Amino acid sequence: MLSKLLKIGIVCPYSWDTPGGVGNHVRDLAEYLIAQGHDVSVLAPASEDALLPSYVVNAGKPISIPYNGAVARILFGPVAYSRVRNWIAEGNFDLLHLHEPAIPSISLLACWAAEGPMIGTFHAAAKHQKIIFAIGPILEPAIEKLSARIAVSEAARLTLTDHLDTDAVVIPNGIYASRYMHGSPQSKWQGNTIGFIGRFEESRKGLSVLLDALPVISRFAPDVKVFVAGPGDPEEVIKKIDPELRTRFEFLGKISESDKADFMASVALYVAPNTGGESFGIILAEALAGGACVVASDIPAFADLLGHGQYGALFESENSTELAKVIIDLLRNQDKRMDLTKSGKAHAQIFDWSVVAEQIYSVYEMSMVGGSKVRVAQDSRSWSRFLSKEEKP
Amino acid sequence: MRYLIPAIIFVLFAIWYLTFLARRLDRLHHRVDNSWANLDVLLQKRAAVALEIAHSDIADPASSLLLTGAAYQARDASIQYRSNAESGLSGALGLLLEDSRHLETAADSQLLTELSALTDKIRVAIAIHTDAVSRSQMLRRKFVVRTFRLAGNAPLPVTYEFEADVL
Repeated sequence: MLSKLLKIGIVCPYSWDTPGGVGNHVRDLAEYLIAQGHDVSVLAPASEDALLPSYVVNAGKPISIPYNGAVARILFGPVAYSRVRNWIAEGNFDLLHLHEPAIPSISLLACWAAEGPMIGTFHAAAKHQKIIFAIGPILEPAIEKLSARIAVSEAARLTLTDHLDTDAVVIPNGIYASRYMHGSPQSKWQGNTIGFIGRFEESRKGLSVLLDALPVISRFAPDVKVFVAGPGDPEEVIKKIDPELRTRFEFLGKISESDKADFMASVALYVAPNTGGESFGIILAEALAGGACVVASDIPAFADLLGHGQYGALFESENSTELAKVIIDLLRNQDKRMDLTKSGKAHAQIFDWSVVAEQIYSVYEMSMVGGSKVRVAQDSRSWSRFLSKEEKP
Repeated sequence: MRYLIPAIIFVLFAIWYLTFLARRLDRLHHRVDNSWANLDVLLQKRAAVALEIAHSDIADPASSLLLTGAAYQARDASIQYRSNAESGLSGALGLLLEDSRHLETAADSQLLTELSALTDKIRVAIAIHTDAVSRSQMLRRKFVVRTFRLAGNAPLPVTYEFEADVL
Protein backbone atom coordinates (compact mmCIF):
# COMPACT_ATOMS: atom_id res chain seq x y z
CA MET A 1 0.00 0.00 0.00
CA LEU A 2 3.03 2.27 0.12
CA SER A 3 2.29 4.45 -2.84
CA LYS A 4 4.14 7.72 -3.40
CA LEU A 5 7.91 7.48 -3.37
CA LEU A 6 9.52 9.85 -0.92
CA LYS A 7 12.89 11.27 -0.03
CA ILE A 8 13.16 10.51 3.67
CA GLY A 9 15.83 11.65 6.12
CA ILE A 10 16.21 9.61 9.30
CA VAL A 11 18.36 10.74 12.19
CA CYS A 12 19.76 8.23 14.67
CA PRO A 13 21.14 9.83 17.84
CA TYR A 14 23.35 6.95 18.94
CA SER A 15 26.57 5.71 17.43
CA TRP A 16 26.07 3.40 14.45
CA ASP A 17 29.02 1.15 15.49
CA THR A 18 27.53 0.07 18.79
CA PRO A 19 24.43 -2.05 18.36
CA GLY A 20 21.45 -1.00 20.43
CA GLY A 21 17.69 -0.96 20.36
CA VAL A 22 17.30 2.41 18.68
CA GLY A 23 20.05 1.76 16.15
CA ASN A 24 18.60 -1.60 15.15
CA HIS A 25 15.18 -0.04 14.78
CA VAL A 26 16.53 2.72 12.55
CA ARG A 27 18.47 0.23 10.43
CA ASP A 28 15.51 -2.09 9.93
CA LEU A 29 13.14 0.78 9.18
CA ALA A 30 15.55 2.35 6.69
CA GLU A 31 16.10 -0.98 4.94
CA TYR A 32 12.38 -1.67 4.81
CA LEU A 33 11.65 1.74 3.31
CA ILE A 34 14.46 1.36 0.77
CA ALA A 35 13.07 -2.02 -0.23
CA GLN A 36 9.76 -0.26 -0.87
CA GLY A 37 11.55 2.06 -3.29
CA HIS A 38 11.89 5.17 -1.14
CA ASP A 39 15.05 7.22 -1.14
CA VAL A 40 16.37 7.09 2.43
CA SER A 41 19.34 8.81 4.00
CA VAL A 42 20.29 8.08 7.61
CA LEU A 43 22.41 10.52 9.58
CA ALA A 44 24.20 8.90 12.50
CA PRO A 45 27.35 9.40 14.55
CA ALA A 46 30.06 6.83 13.83
CA SER A 47 33.79 6.50 14.27
CA GLU A 48 35.85 7.49 11.26
CA ASP A 49 36.94 4.04 10.17
CA ALA A 50 33.52 2.46 10.63
CA LEU A 51 32.13 0.50 7.72
CA LEU A 52 28.81 2.11 6.94
CA PRO A 53 26.08 0.96 4.58
CA SER A 54 25.63 3.23 1.57
CA TYR A 55 22.52 4.95 2.97
CA VAL A 56 24.24 6.11 6.17
CA VAL A 57 25.91 9.53 6.39
CA ASN A 58 28.52 9.91 9.11
CA ALA A 59 27.81 12.89 11.36
CA GLY A 60 31.07 12.66 13.28
CA LYS A 61 32.76 10.77 16.06
CA PRO A 62 30.47 10.11 19.03
CA ILE A 63 31.20 11.02 22.64
CA SER A 64 30.56 8.45 25.39
CA ILE A 65 28.55 9.61 28.35
CA PRO A 66 26.80 7.61 31.07
CA TYR A 67 23.07 7.72 30.51
CA ASN A 68 20.07 5.66 31.61
CA GLY A 69 22.13 2.99 33.36
CA ALA A 70 24.38 2.39 30.38
CA VAL A 71 26.96 4.26 28.37
CA ALA A 72 25.37 6.23 25.57
CA ARG A 73 27.46 7.16 22.58
CA ILE A 74 26.01 10.41 21.28
CA LEU A 75 27.12 13.54 19.46
CA PHE A 76 26.61 17.27 19.77
CA GLY A 77 28.52 20.54 19.46
CA PRO A 78 28.93 23.28 16.86
CA VAL A 79 30.69 21.11 14.28
CA ALA A 80 28.01 18.46 14.49
CA TYR A 81 25.36 21.18 14.25
CA SER A 82 26.75 22.57 11.03
CA ARG A 83 27.02 19.06 9.58
CA VAL A 84 23.41 18.41 10.46
CA ARG A 85 22.38 21.67 8.80
CA ASN A 86 24.32 20.89 5.64
CA TRP A 87 22.78 17.44 5.50
CA ILE A 88 19.31 18.99 5.74
CA ALA A 89 20.09 21.74 3.22
CA GLU A 90 21.54 19.32 0.67
CA GLY A 91 19.13 16.46 1.22
CA ASN A 92 16.01 18.15 -0.17
CA PHE A 93 13.93 15.82 1.98
CA ASP A 94 10.16 15.41 1.85
CA LEU A 95 10.21 14.47 5.47
CA LEU A 96 12.50 14.06 8.47
CA HIS A 97 12.13 11.23 10.95
CA LEU A 98 14.01 12.00 14.16
CA HIS A 99 14.64 9.31 16.71
CA GLU A 100 14.80 10.15 20.38
CA PRO A 101 14.77 13.96 19.89
CA ALA A 102 14.61 14.56 23.63
CA ILE A 103 18.18 13.52 24.36
CA PRO A 104 21.11 15.82 23.66
CA SER A 105 22.29 14.39 20.37
CA ILE A 106 22.00 15.07 16.65
CA SER A 107 18.26 14.34 16.54
CA LEU A 108 17.67 17.35 18.76
CA LEU A 109 20.07 19.41 16.65
CA ALA A 110 18.20 18.41 13.50
CA CYS A 111 14.91 19.28 15.13
CA TRP A 112 16.34 22.66 15.99
CA ALA A 113 17.79 23.30 12.55
CA ALA A 114 14.95 22.14 10.31
CA GLU A 115 11.48 23.29 9.40
CA GLY A 116 8.71 21.41 7.63
CA PRO A 117 7.27 17.91 7.99
CA MET A 118 9.07 16.27 10.90
CA ILE A 119 8.24 13.22 12.94
CA GLY A 120 9.79 12.26 16.24
CA THR A 121 9.93 8.75 17.66
CA PHE A 122 10.41 8.47 21.39
CA HIS A 123 11.91 5.22 22.60
CA ALA A 124 12.88 5.86 26.19
CA ALA A 125 10.71 5.09 29.16
CA ALA A 126 12.28 5.55 32.54
CA LYS A 127 11.61 7.43 35.72
CA HIS A 128 15.13 8.70 36.27
CA GLN A 129 15.08 10.58 33.03
CA LYS A 130 13.90 13.51 35.10
CA ILE A 131 17.26 15.21 34.80
CA ILE A 132 17.07 15.21 31.06
CA PHE A 133 13.43 16.17 31.04
CA ALA A 134 13.97 18.91 33.61
CA ILE A 135 15.34 20.97 30.78
CA GLY A 136 11.87 20.78 29.25
CA PRO A 137 11.50 24.52 28.73
CA ILE A 138 14.56 24.45 26.50
CA LEU A 139 13.36 21.39 24.63
CA GLU A 140 9.79 22.56 24.21
CA PRO A 141 10.25 24.99 21.30
CA ALA A 142 12.15 22.32 19.42
CA ILE A 143 9.86 19.40 20.24
CA GLU A 144 6.73 21.32 19.30
CA LYS A 145 8.04 21.73 15.76
CA LEU A 146 7.46 18.02 15.22
CA SER A 147 4.30 17.54 13.23
CA ALA A 148 3.68 14.17 14.82
CA ARG A 149 5.11 12.18 17.69
CA ILE A 150 5.39 8.43 17.88
CA ALA A 151 6.02 6.51 21.09
CA VAL A 152 7.17 2.90 20.83
CA SER A 153 5.09 1.72 23.76
CA GLU A 154 2.47 2.85 26.22
CA ALA A 155 5.30 3.24 28.77
CA ALA A 156 7.22 5.54 26.45
CA ARG A 157 4.06 7.54 25.81
CA LEU A 158 3.48 8.03 29.53
CA THR A 159 7.06 9.21 29.99
CA LEU A 160 6.41 11.74 27.27
CA THR A 161 3.09 13.02 28.60
CA ASP A 162 4.50 13.26 32.11
CA HIS A 163 7.66 15.12 31.24
CA LEU A 164 7.00 17.08 28.10
CA ASP A 165 3.27 17.53 28.37
CA THR A 166 2.60 16.31 24.88
CA ASP A 167 0.76 13.33 23.47
CA ALA A 168 1.98 10.70 21.03
CA VAL A 169 0.69 7.96 18.81
CA VAL A 170 1.80 4.50 19.94
CA ILE A 171 3.43 2.45 17.18
CA PRO A 172 5.48 -0.54 18.40
CA ASN A 173 9.01 -1.36 17.35
CA GLY A 174 9.21 -3.66 14.39
CA ILE A 175 10.74 -7.11 13.90
CA TYR A 176 11.05 -9.28 10.83
CA ALA A 177 8.71 -11.90 12.21
CA SER A 178 9.34 -14.29 9.33
CA ARG A 179 13.01 -14.57 10.30
CA TYR A 180 12.03 -16.08 13.63
CA MET A 181 9.03 -18.09 12.58
CA HIS A 182 10.80 -21.02 11.01
CA GLY A 183 13.45 -21.89 13.57
CA SER A 184 14.06 -25.62 13.83
CA PRO A 185 14.12 -27.05 17.36
CA GLN A 186 17.60 -28.23 18.38
CA SER A 187 17.72 -31.21 20.68
CA LYS A 188 20.65 -29.75 22.67
CA TRP A 189 18.39 -26.91 23.85
CA GLN A 190 15.25 -28.96 24.41
CA GLY A 191 13.84 -30.51 27.56
CA ASN A 192 13.35 -28.68 30.82
CA THR A 193 15.32 -25.69 29.58
CA ILE A 194 15.23 -22.01 30.32
CA GLY A 195 16.58 -19.46 27.85
CA PHE A 196 17.93 -15.98 28.50
CA ILE A 197 19.32 -13.57 25.93
CA GLY A 198 20.92 -10.22 26.69
CA ARG A 199 23.93 -8.41 28.09
CA PHE A 200 23.82 -10.40 31.32
CA GLU A 201 26.45 -8.28 33.06
CA GLU A 202 24.09 -5.31 33.24
CA SER A 203 22.11 -5.56 36.44
CA ARG A 204 18.93 -4.19 34.86
CA LYS A 205 18.75 -7.25 32.63
CA GLY A 206 17.97 -9.12 35.84
CA LEU A 207 19.97 -12.34 35.45
CA SER A 208 20.55 -12.29 39.21
CA VAL A 209 16.80 -12.64 39.80
CA LEU A 210 16.88 -15.83 37.77
CA LEU A 211 19.98 -17.03 39.66
CA ASP A 212 18.16 -16.54 42.97
CA ALA A 213 15.18 -18.48 41.73
CA LEU A 214 17.19 -21.46 40.50
CA PRO A 215 17.75 -23.32 43.79
CA VAL A 216 13.99 -23.63 44.25
CA ILE A 217 13.40 -24.52 40.62
CA SER A 218 16.03 -27.26 40.63
CA ARG A 219 14.41 -28.84 43.67
CA PHE A 220 11.19 -29.34 41.73
CA ALA A 221 12.74 -29.93 38.33
CA PRO A 222 16.13 -31.58 38.93
CA ASP A 223 17.00 -31.78 35.24
CA VAL A 224 16.49 -28.07 34.56
CA LYS A 225 19.11 -26.32 32.43
CA VAL A 226 19.65 -22.62 31.87
CA PHE A 227 21.11 -21.31 28.61
CA VAL A 228 22.43 -17.77 28.71
CA ALA A 229 23.21 -16.09 25.39
CA GLY A 230 24.60 -12.63 24.87
CA PRO A 231 27.87 -10.73 24.91
CA GLY A 232 29.83 -10.54 28.17
CA ASP A 233 32.28 -12.32 30.41
CA PRO A 234 30.62 -15.28 32.18
CA GLU A 235 33.39 -15.70 34.81
CA GLU A 236 32.00 -13.02 37.11
CA VAL A 237 28.52 -14.49 36.99
CA ILE A 238 29.69 -18.07 37.48
CA LYS A 239 31.41 -17.06 40.72
CA LYS A 240 28.07 -15.97 42.12
CA ILE A 241 26.36 -19.26 41.35
CA ASP A 242 26.05 -21.93 44.01
CA PRO A 243 28.78 -24.52 43.05
CA GLU A 244 26.25 -27.35 43.01
CA LEU A 245 24.20 -25.55 40.43
CA ARG A 246 27.02 -24.46 38.14
CA THR A 247 26.53 -27.44 35.88
CA ARG A 248 23.00 -26.31 35.27
CA PHE A 249 24.30 -23.26 33.44
CA GLU A 250 25.65 -22.94 29.97
CA PHE A 251 26.91 -19.70 28.49
CA LEU A 252 26.61 -19.55 24.73
CA GLY A 253 28.15 -16.15 24.06
CA LYS A 254 26.72 -14.02 21.33
CA ILE A 255 24.51 -15.99 18.96
CA SER A 256 23.53 -15.28 15.37
CA GLU A 257 20.03 -14.34 14.22
CA SER A 258 19.34 -17.79 12.77
CA ASP A 259 20.62 -19.46 15.95
CA LYS A 260 18.30 -17.16 17.84
CA ALA A 261 15.33 -18.45 15.88
CA ASP A 262 16.33 -22.06 16.63
CA PHE A 263 16.94 -21.14 20.25
CA MET A 264 13.46 -19.66 20.64
CA ALA A 265 11.90 -22.68 18.97
CA SER A 266 13.77 -25.09 21.26
CA VAL A 267 13.75 -23.84 24.83
CA ALA A 268 10.84 -24.75 27.05
CA LEU A 269 10.70 -21.27 28.54
CA TYR A 270 12.20 -17.92 27.60
CA VAL A 271 12.75 -15.80 30.70
CA ALA A 272 13.13 -11.99 30.73
CA PRO A 273 13.65 -10.94 34.35
CA ASN A 274 14.57 -7.32 33.51
CA THR A 275 14.23 -4.99 36.46
CA GLY A 276 13.55 -1.79 34.56
CA GLY A 277 14.87 0.68 32.03
CA GLU A 278 13.08 -1.11 29.21
CA SER A 279 10.68 0.81 27.06
CA PHE A 280 9.63 -1.86 24.63
CA GLY A 281 11.27 -5.28 24.90
CA ILE A 282 12.04 -6.17 21.29
CA ILE A 283 13.52 -9.48 22.43
CA LEU A 284 10.11 -10.51 23.79
CA ALA A 285 8.50 -9.77 20.42
CA GLU A 286 11.19 -11.92 18.80
CA ALA A 287 10.70 -14.68 21.36
CA LEU A 288 6.94 -14.69 20.73
CA ALA A 289 7.46 -14.76 16.97
CA GLY A 290 9.94 -17.61 17.38
CA GLY A 291 7.39 -19.66 19.28
CA ALA A 292 8.89 -19.51 22.75
CA CYS A 293 6.78 -19.57 25.87
CA VAL A 294 7.70 -16.30 27.56
CA VAL A 295 8.02 -15.54 31.26
CA ALA A 296 8.74 -11.87 31.97
CA SER A 297 8.86 -9.42 34.85
CA ASP A 298 5.80 -7.21 35.13
CA ILE A 299 7.54 -3.92 34.35
CA PRO A 300 5.11 -1.69 32.37
CA ALA A 301 6.65 -2.21 28.93
CA PHE A 302 6.69 -6.01 29.24
CA ALA A 303 3.23 -6.26 30.78
CA ASP A 304 1.95 -4.15 27.93
CA LEU A 305 3.68 -6.18 25.22
CA LEU A 306 2.46 -9.47 26.69
CA GLY A 307 -1.13 -8.25 26.86
CA HIS A 308 -0.99 -8.33 30.67
CA GLY A 309 -0.45 -12.07 30.77
CA GLN A 310 -2.45 -13.07 27.72
CA TYR A 311 0.55 -13.89 25.51
CA GLY A 312 3.13 -14.81 28.13
CA ALA A 313 3.39 -15.32 31.88
CA LEU A 314 4.30 -12.42 34.16
CA PHE A 315 5.85 -12.32 37.62
CA GLU A 316 6.41 -9.48 40.06
CA SER A 317 9.63 -7.72 39.06
CA GLU A 318 12.68 -8.61 41.23
CA ASN A 319 10.69 -11.24 43.13
CA SER A 320 12.65 -14.45 42.58
CA THR A 321 10.26 -16.55 44.70
CA GLU A 322 7.39 -15.70 42.41
CA LEU A 323 9.57 -16.25 39.35
CA ALA A 324 10.40 -19.74 40.62
CA LYS A 325 6.72 -20.45 41.20
CA VAL A 326 5.73 -19.33 37.70
CA ILE A 327 8.54 -21.31 36.06
CA ILE A 328 7.81 -24.53 37.97
CA ASP A 329 4.12 -24.24 37.21
CA LEU A 330 4.80 -23.83 33.50
CA LEU A 331 7.46 -26.55 33.29
CA ARG A 332 4.95 -29.01 34.75
CA ASN A 333 2.01 -27.91 32.67
CA GLN A 334 2.67 -28.50 29.02
CA ASP A 335 -0.87 -27.60 27.87
CA LYS A 336 -0.63 -24.17 29.43
CA ARG A 337 2.72 -23.68 27.76
CA MET A 338 1.29 -24.66 24.40
CA ASP A 339 -1.61 -22.24 24.81
CA LEU A 340 0.68 -19.32 25.61
CA THR A 341 3.01 -20.19 22.74
CA LYS A 342 0.15 -20.36 20.29
CA SER A 343 -1.48 -17.07 21.26
CA GLY A 344 1.93 -15.40 21.51
CA LYS A 345 2.98 -16.46 18.05
CA ALA A 346 -0.24 -15.11 16.54
CA HIS A 347 0.09 -11.87 18.49
CA ALA A 348 3.69 -11.33 17.35
CA GLN A 349 2.48 -10.66 13.81
CA ILE A 350 1.46 -7.13 14.82
CA PHE A 351 5.15 -6.36 15.36
CA ASP A 352 6.12 -7.43 11.88
CA TRP A 353 7.65 -4.69 9.77
CA SER A 354 4.96 -5.05 7.12
CA VAL A 355 2.42 -3.92 9.72
CA VAL A 356 4.56 -1.48 11.69
CA ALA A 357 6.03 0.32 8.68
CA GLU A 358 2.53 0.78 7.23
CA GLN A 359 1.51 2.51 10.43
CA ILE A 360 4.61 4.69 10.40
CA TYR A 361 4.03 5.48 6.74
CA SER A 362 0.47 6.60 7.37
CA VAL A 363 1.81 9.04 9.96
CA TYR A 364 4.30 10.23 7.33
CA GLU A 365 1.43 10.90 4.95
CA MET A 366 -0.49 12.82 7.56
CA SER A 367 2.41 15.07 8.40
CA MET A 368 3.00 15.96 4.76
CA VAL A 369 -0.49 17.34 4.16
CA GLY A 370 0.78 20.92 3.98
CA GLY A 371 2.76 19.98 0.88
CA SER A 372 5.94 21.78 1.92
CA LYS A 373 9.38 20.19 1.99
CA VAL A 374 11.96 20.09 4.73
CA ARG A 375 14.26 23.10 4.76
CA VAL A 376 16.71 24.76 7.09
CA ALA A 377 14.76 26.77 9.65
CA GLN A 378 14.50 30.50 9.20
CA ASP A 379 15.86 31.41 12.63
CA SER A 380 18.80 29.14 12.03
CA ARG A 381 19.44 30.82 8.65
CA SER A 382 19.38 34.35 10.04
CA TRP A 383 21.61 33.26 12.89
CA SER A 384 24.31 32.11 10.51
CA ARG A 385 23.94 35.28 8.44
CA PHE A 386 24.46 37.16 11.67
CA LEU A 387 27.69 35.26 12.15
CA SER A 388 28.44 36.16 8.50
CA LYS A 389 28.80 32.57 7.42
CA GLU A 390 28.24 31.64 3.82
CA GLU A 391 24.77 30.27 3.29
CA LYS A 392 24.56 27.05 1.33
CA PRO A 393 22.40 27.47 -1.76
CA MET B 1 25.62 56.46 29.58
CA ARG B 2 26.33 53.76 32.10
CA TYR B 3 22.94 52.18 31.56
CA LEU B 4 22.88 52.59 27.82
CA ILE B 5 24.70 49.41 26.85
CA PRO B 6 22.78 47.11 29.17
CA ALA B 7 19.60 48.81 28.01
CA ILE B 8 20.47 48.19 24.36
CA ILE B 9 21.31 44.59 25.08
CA PHE B 10 18.05 44.18 26.92
CA VAL B 11 16.06 45.70 24.07
CA LEU B 12 17.83 43.52 21.52
CA PHE B 13 17.16 40.47 23.59
CA ALA B 14 13.52 41.45 24.02
CA ILE B 15 13.13 41.88 20.28
CA TRP B 16 14.78 38.54 19.62
CA TYR B 17 12.59 36.83 22.18
CA LEU B 18 9.42 38.33 20.78
CA THR B 19 10.23 37.30 17.21
CA PHE B 20 11.19 33.88 18.50
CA LEU B 21 7.84 33.49 20.22
CA ALA B 22 5.96 34.85 17.23
CA ARG B 23 7.68 32.34 14.98
CA ARG B 24 6.88 29.50 17.34
CA LEU B 25 3.28 30.59 17.36
CA ASP B 26 3.14 30.85 13.61
CA ARG B 27 4.57 27.39 13.26
CA LEU B 28 2.00 25.99 15.67
CA HIS B 29 -0.85 27.64 13.79
CA HIS B 30 0.43 26.01 10.64
CA ARG B 31 0.50 22.68 12.39
CA VAL B 32 -3.09 23.16 13.53
CA ASP B 33 -4.19 24.05 9.98
CA ASN B 34 -2.39 21.11 8.44
CA SER B 35 -3.54 18.56 10.95
CA TRP B 36 -7.11 19.81 10.65
CA ALA B 37 -6.97 19.64 6.85
CA ASN B 38 -5.72 16.08 7.16
CA LEU B 39 -8.43 15.12 9.64
CA ASP B 40 -11.08 16.79 7.49
CA VAL B 41 -10.08 14.77 4.43
CA LEU B 42 -10.18 11.53 6.40
CA LEU B 43 -13.60 12.34 7.83
CA GLN B 44 -14.94 13.10 4.36
CA LYS B 45 -13.59 9.76 3.20
CA ARG B 46 -15.28 8.07 6.09
CA ALA B 47 -18.60 9.64 5.14
CA ALA B 48 -18.10 8.37 1.59
CA VAL B 49 -17.37 4.85 2.81
CA ALA B 50 -20.39 5.05 5.11
CA LEU B 51 -22.56 5.89 2.09
CA GLU B 52 -21.15 2.94 0.21
CA ILE B 53 -21.88 0.68 3.14
CA ALA B 54 -25.40 2.09 3.29
CA HIS B 55 -25.94 1.06 -0.33
CA SER B 56 -24.40 -2.39 0.11
CA ASP B 57 -25.93 -5.58 1.45
CA ILE B 58 -24.45 -5.10 4.88
CA ALA B 59 -27.10 -2.62 5.88
CA ASP B 60 -30.76 -3.52 6.19
CA PRO B 61 -33.17 -0.87 4.81
CA ALA B 62 -33.71 0.82 8.17
CA SER B 63 -30.04 1.19 9.09
CA SER B 64 -29.30 2.09 5.49
CA LEU B 65 -31.68 5.02 5.84
CA LEU B 66 -30.15 6.03 9.15
CA LEU B 67 -26.61 5.76 7.80
CA THR B 68 -27.33 7.68 4.60
CA GLY B 69 -28.88 10.50 6.61
CA ALA B 70 -25.97 10.63 9.03
CA ALA B 71 -23.37 10.51 6.25
CA TYR B 72 -24.98 13.36 4.32
CA GLN B 73 -25.28 15.41 7.47
CA ALA B 74 -21.61 14.85 8.27
CA ARG B 75 -20.57 15.86 4.77
CA ASP B 76 -22.67 18.98 4.55
CA ALA B 77 -22.55 20.23 8.12
CA SER B 78 -21.11 23.68 8.65
CA ILE B 79 -18.38 23.91 11.22
CA GLN B 80 -20.65 24.62 14.22
CA TYR B 81 -22.74 21.53 13.54
CA ARG B 82 -19.85 19.34 12.41
CA SER B 83 -19.32 18.02 15.89
CA ASN B 84 -22.87 16.71 16.24
CA ALA B 85 -22.95 15.38 12.71
CA GLU B 86 -19.71 13.39 13.02
CA SER B 87 -20.74 11.96 16.37
CA GLY B 88 -24.03 10.98 14.79
CA LEU B 89 -22.23 9.17 12.00
CA SER B 90 -19.98 7.42 14.50
CA GLY B 91 -23.04 6.28 16.38
CA ALA B 92 -24.79 5.01 13.26
CA LEU B 93 -21.68 3.14 12.10
CA GLY B 94 -21.16 1.74 15.57
CA LEU B 95 -24.70 0.32 15.67
CA LEU B 96 -24.30 -1.27 12.27
CA LEU B 97 -20.89 -2.79 12.98
CA GLU B 98 -22.15 -4.23 16.24
CA ASP B 99 -24.90 -6.00 14.30
CA SER B 100 -23.03 -7.09 11.21
CA ARG B 101 -20.28 -8.84 13.11
CA HIS B 102 -22.13 -12.13 12.66
CA LEU B 103 -22.82 -12.05 8.94
CA GLU B 104 -19.87 -11.62 6.61
CA THR B 105 -19.74 -11.83 2.85
CA ALA B 106 -16.55 -11.35 0.87
CA ALA B 107 -17.31 -8.10 -0.95
CA ASP B 108 -18.80 -6.46 2.09
CA SER B 109 -15.98 -7.33 4.39
CA GLN B 110 -13.71 -5.39 2.05
CA LEU B 111 -15.75 -2.27 2.76
CA LEU B 112 -15.56 -3.01 6.45
CA THR B 113 -11.78 -3.43 6.39
CA GLU B 114 -11.55 -0.15 4.53
CA LEU B 115 -13.66 1.44 7.21
CA SER B 116 -11.57 0.03 10.04
CA ALA B 117 -8.33 1.11 8.35
CA LEU B 118 -9.82 4.57 7.97
CA THR B 119 -10.94 4.60 11.59
CA ASP B 120 -7.41 3.78 12.71
CA LYS B 121 -6.07 6.64 10.64
CA ILE B 122 -8.70 9.00 11.97
CA ARG B 123 -7.75 8.09 15.50
CA VAL B 124 -4.12 8.96 14.78
CA ALA B 125 -5.11 12.16 12.96
CA ILE B 126 -7.21 13.22 15.93
CA ALA B 127 -4.34 12.63 18.33
CA ILE B 128 -2.03 14.72 16.15
CA HIS B 129 -4.60 17.48 15.77
CA THR B 130 -5.56 17.74 19.42
CA ASP B 131 -1.91 17.87 20.38
CA ALA B 132 -1.27 20.76 17.98
CA VAL B 133 -4.36 22.54 19.27
CA SER B 134 -3.49 22.15 22.92
CA ARG B 135 0.10 23.24 22.32
CA SER B 136 -0.98 26.42 20.61
CA GLN B 137 -3.59 27.11 23.23
CA MET B 138 -0.90 26.75 25.87
CA LEU B 139 1.39 29.18 24.09
CA ARG B 140 -1.45 31.61 23.43
CA ARG B 141 -2.16 31.76 27.16
CA LYS B 142 1.34 33.04 27.88
CA PHE B 143 1.41 36.51 29.36
CA VAL B 144 3.94 37.88 26.88
CA VAL B 145 2.03 36.48 23.92
CA ARG B 146 -1.20 38.09 25.10
CA THR B 147 0.28 41.46 26.02
CA PHE B 148 2.13 41.93 22.77
CA ARG B 149 -0.70 40.41 20.71
CA LEU B 150 1.77 38.12 19.00
CA ALA B 151 -1.05 36.01 17.60
CA GLY B 152 -2.37 38.97 15.59
CA ASN B 153 -5.83 38.26 14.25
CA ALA B 154 -5.43 34.49 14.08
CA PRO B 155 -8.39 32.79 15.75
CA LEU B 156 -7.72 30.71 18.83
CA PRO B 157 -7.65 27.04 17.80
CA VAL B 158 -10.46 25.04 19.35
CA THR B 159 -10.97 21.35 19.98
CA TYR B 160 -14.18 19.93 18.64
CA GLU B 161 -16.21 17.68 20.85
CA PHE B 162 -16.49 14.81 18.46
CA GLU B 163 -12.76 14.36 18.50
CA ALA B 164 -13.07 12.43 21.72
CA ASP B 165 -15.61 9.88 20.55
CA VAL B 166 -15.13 9.10 16.88
CA LEU B 167 -15.50 5.32 17.16
